[in-house]
Amino acid sequence: MEYLDSLTGFRLDGRRPNDMRQIRGEIGVVAKADGSALFEMGNTKVIAAVYGPREVQNKSQQINNQALVRCEYSMANFSTGDRARRPKGDRRSTEISLVIRQTMEACILTHLMPRSQIDIFVQVLQADGGTRSACINAATLALADAGVPMCDIVTSCSAGYLSSTPLLDLNYIEDSAGGPDVTVGILAKMDKVTLLQVSKLIFLNAKCCISLIL
Amino acid sequence: MAAASTSGSGRDIGGSGGGSAAGEMEVEAYRRLFPLPFYERHLLDSVRPDARPLHRARDTSVVLGPVASADGSALVKIGDTTMLAAIKLEVMTPSADAPDEGSLAIEFHMPPICSPIVRPGRPAEVAPVISKQLSDVIVSSQMINLKELSLISGKAAWMAYLDIYCLNADGSLFDAALLSAIAAFSHLQIPLVSLSDDGKVVAVSGDLLEDESTPELVNKERKLLLHSIPFSLTCILHKKYILADPTAEEESIMETSITVVLDSSEQLVSIYKPGGPVLAQTSTVKDCIVLTKHRMKELQNILEESLSAMEVV
Repeated sequence: MEYLDSLTGFRLDGRRPNDMRQIRGEIGVVAKADGSALFEMGNTKVIAAVYGPREVQNKSQQINNQALVRCEYSMANFSTGDRARRPKGDRRSTEISLVIRQTMEACILTHLMPRSQIDIFVQVLQADGGTRSACINAATLALADAGVPMCDIVTSCSAGYLSSTPLLDLNYIEDSAGGPDVTVGILAKMDKVTLLQVSKLIFLNAKCCISLIL
Repeated sequence: MAAASTSGSGRDIGGSGGGSAAGEMEVEAYRRLFPLPFYERHLLDSVRPDARPLHRARDTSVVLGPVASADGSALVKIGDTTMLAAIKLEVMTPSADAPDEGSLAIEFHMPPICSPIVRPGRPAEVAPVISKQLSDVIVSSQMINLKELSLISGKAAWMAYLDIYCLNADGSLFDAALLSAIAAFSHLQIPLVSLSDDGKVVAVSGDLLEDESTPELVNKERKLLLHSIPFSLTCILHKKYILADPTAEEESIMETSITVVLDSSEQLVSIYKPGGPVLAQTSTVKDCIVLTKHRMKELQNILEESLSAMEVV
């Protein structure tokens, strides 16, 4: 399948290789949450809610000198092309929950809130590739909306390599093409990388992808 | 925060229960510590803390089609309560005892984002209750004729999966969920399908209509015909007051609630009063039914407006 039109250089959805999809963010969408945000990257829509800092619910997990950060990632049943019954604790969800938690934990100033708990819940409403990145971006906005002290804003994006060209911000069709893809999470002002996940490493190409994202 | 209370300074907060903490006290603190006397003071003036009269429901809005990947979807907000409903259709073989009927699967989810009380380990108690209530109401109101979901008798029929996600729980969850289900069904566009050579049902894009000999479902009409649409209103009973469309705070303080469901021809579909400290007399129940009738007219207008807004686009 031709992911990049050889004549015009456009991708399947008419973007150029280093064009991102249209992004849109909105905070304060869930009134009951301490902080919440709705983030869209093209057709991928994600909603994040933050509850905290609040009292630790499971006292055995309480940490005495910093806050406990918990994260749960789930996808709505109608979010992808086929309606799939998603058991909550399936491997992919658990892995992504862990990734988001560790990414956000790196930038939250947890030592300022000992013996407390910060819950980040992320729900994917529509999935069209790049859900991991959209979730991190949404979680950052929600944490900011909740007033949780952070050292920097985390932004994230994904890229891949198809038809011998690095492509930025893959959608679902490009993502399932089977080429390598890389997701990067960066602390914006401090210019440091918190998250780097590469699948199918093909060394040179991964470097192009990463420099594309940065 | 300043020590002086905002609108209640100098007001003599005497009266029942915790009123003995009279004198200057911040309104917000009083609201948290003595919620019932706080509400009763408002009820005496026939008003509620958010300045609504007792029988008025909160501002309701309906948006059709927020989820582009679903066959039908709707986002409904009643005050702060937000519900997202989406329908996905899949082809299945109908059961032997109903060969020309499709089927419906309704699920209601309350993910942890909707409320601070819902946690990953402990799902909300009300979620399965509302799920069952919704299924019962939609099936018993006969809003959808399952025969319309049939494709080829005995071989293929549509299975409609309706998933409703609560994105913000602030009272009247059942009302919002029912409204979102109805809105999603009104928005539903059934995809065109045709029979491929090896007997499989295959989706067809709009352009290639004419070629295949098709058992196209419902021909040109790709929308479901909704017969008698059910609308509901939940009311809270407290002493002799009836409060329509409660918020989560009101529901937690005054526990007796009654939900009345009427269909568009003003016939009673269901009344649900799950116990509670207040016993309702027949007159109270009749008043609730009248309130539901008013609410039904409001909801019908809102639904029609959003449907016509969608058609223009």
